[in-house]
Amino acid sequence: MIVVHVRSQGNYRLDEHASEVWFGKLDARAKLAGVFAFIVVSAILTRTELVFASLAVALTMTVVSMLPLAHLAKMYLAALPFILLASVSVFLFGGWERGIQMWARTSACVLPLLVLAAGTESFDLFSGLRRFRVPAIITTLLMLTQRYIQLLSEELARMTLARKARGFTGGRSLLDRYGLRIISCTAGMVLVRSIGRGDRIYEGLKGKGFNGELMPWKKSHITLLDTSFVSSLVIVASVLLTLQLGVAQ
Amino acid sequence: MHIPDGLMDPTVSAIGWIEFLVVLGAVLLLAGNRIKEKNLPRVAVLSAGIFVAQMLNFPIGGGTTGHLVGGALFAIIAGPMVAVIGMTVVLLIQALMFGDGGITALGLNALNMAVIAPLTGWGVYTLLKTMTEKGGGKSSAASGFVVGAAAWASVFVAAAACAAELAVSYAVSSGAYGIAATVSVPAMLGMHAVIGVGEGIITAGVLAYLWSVLPDAITSASPTRKVLPGLRALMCGNTARAVVAIIVVFALALPLYFLYASAGKDGLEKTMENANVAEGEPLIVSPFSYGQDYFSALFAGLLGFLSVALVALGMMKLVRMRGSRGTSP
Repeated sequence: MIVVHVRSQGNYRLDEHASEVWFGKLDARAKLAGVFAFIVVSAILTRTELVFASLAVALTMTVVSMLPLAHLAKMYLAALPFILLASVSVFLFGGWERGIQMWARTSACVLPLLVLAAGTESFDLFSGLRRFRVPAIITTLLMLTQRYIQLLSEELARMTLARKARGFTGGRSLLDRYGLRIISCTAGMVLVRSIGRGDRIYEGLKGKGFNGELMPWKKSHITLLDTSFVSSLVIVASVLLTLQLGVAQ
Repeated sequence: MHIPDGLMDPTVSAIGWIEFLVVLGAVLLLAGNRIKEKNLPRVAVLSAGIFVAQMLNFPIGGGTTGHLVGGALFAIIAGPMVAVIGMTVVLLIQALMFGDGGITALGLNALNMAVIAPLTGWGVYTLLKTMTEKGGGKSSAASGFVVGAAAWASVFVAAAACAAELAVSYAVSSGAYGIAATVSVPAMLGMHAVIGVGEGIITAGVLAYLWSVLPDAITSASPTRKVLPGLRALMCGNTARAVVAIIVVFALALPLYFLYASAGKDGLEKTMENANVAEGEPLIVSPFSYGQDYFSALFAGLLGFLSVALVALGMMKLVRMRGSRGTSP
């Protein structure tokens, strides 16, 4: 299989824990539909108790997914600066309750997305998107770009190591012209080296019958577990939305 | 600049999604053919390159760092339409695989970094390049300056759009979402004015390297797909296309602007009211009005914007025709 060929290359794996846990074994369509429905509803909640309820659901999903919490915490920390900027500014203008609400709401949306990202193999995700009628050109580009990111990251890591081995310590200030020139040349060189390798990979794919269309790389069926996962998230999201809109009152 | 879920007002997020899907649909229709077959791996390598380049942080002072956005770099290398598709792929991977940027906010993120940044960068680059070449400036320093300025403008305008979206969210939701303009505008613009300098220097350096080492790595930036004859005639020059790119960037701001627009009196009306001066009967009564609700105001705004843009493009075309007639033997 062509996609298996692409998928099996390279040492860099962001989704390395996906195959070890039950969440990773769910059908990508079920994960995408359930998580997106929950995120869309969580993003529009404004009543404090509902925002905290959605955060509790998001935290439960994070723990129950059985993905390594340290791995997820590291990913959450990367998203934290923008969340904190928003929360602090809302706190300054709207008081502590609104500030905390902003942090809770953004966290309730970010956590399920991180679980989806860490708990789904990249190509599962892309074939799930294709099955949801995302244009083929986008999903094929996603697949190839994901493969080339591995290639370029390895190339960049090698060049950074070589640069350090030669004693390069520049680029610590915008006024350091020499350092910035070296960084620019590094970025340019990464592109130049990768274009050649990228062409060879593509020729290899075409040799194996690749016609520019992303095919599902493994058969998958919607199981009872998939249905239960989507249903539970859709029910939670519907309840939260109903309470937010005040229909239940 | 990656906006997470839950930060933006739902209306603002929905407008972002609608605008992004319209632009993406148009771009796929016009440029989809260009990235099939041979160009596919090149576009994917460029997308991956921009993704990895975004991992290269550079210092901006005060202990903080910035990173490349890459919209201008992508657009100058591959053309604005291919850049829109490529940057969209980068943002999708960041959101779905790294949780960087939200799902409900993906429309706005894509609008800022995959549409506004490449179009602004390419528009400014093309206009400045034409101006400097006409002025005789073809040196590598002039070329570096043009690329640097375009990259800076792309980051700054994208940051301004992001700040405006945050401010509009805050205003329309009475503080439940977004960030107040008094915080978002100076913070985003101040920080990205400096980040833009780094972006400009690195983009100029990368392109100088690419042009000297591998000039044929650059994919064709000229469209191959046939468009309507009239439109084609109007958009035959790079300058006209650059103007159109910048006009599109401004047009994208309209739906949000009308959401933020106040029904209050303007400065002259307020002054007239303070001075007890009444407005007289107009000599000509226009069949159009600015509208009373959001959608009629938006429609009137789009109509006006389109009319002004078409008149401006037509005038440019006339000036060019007169110029070419004047230089012909």
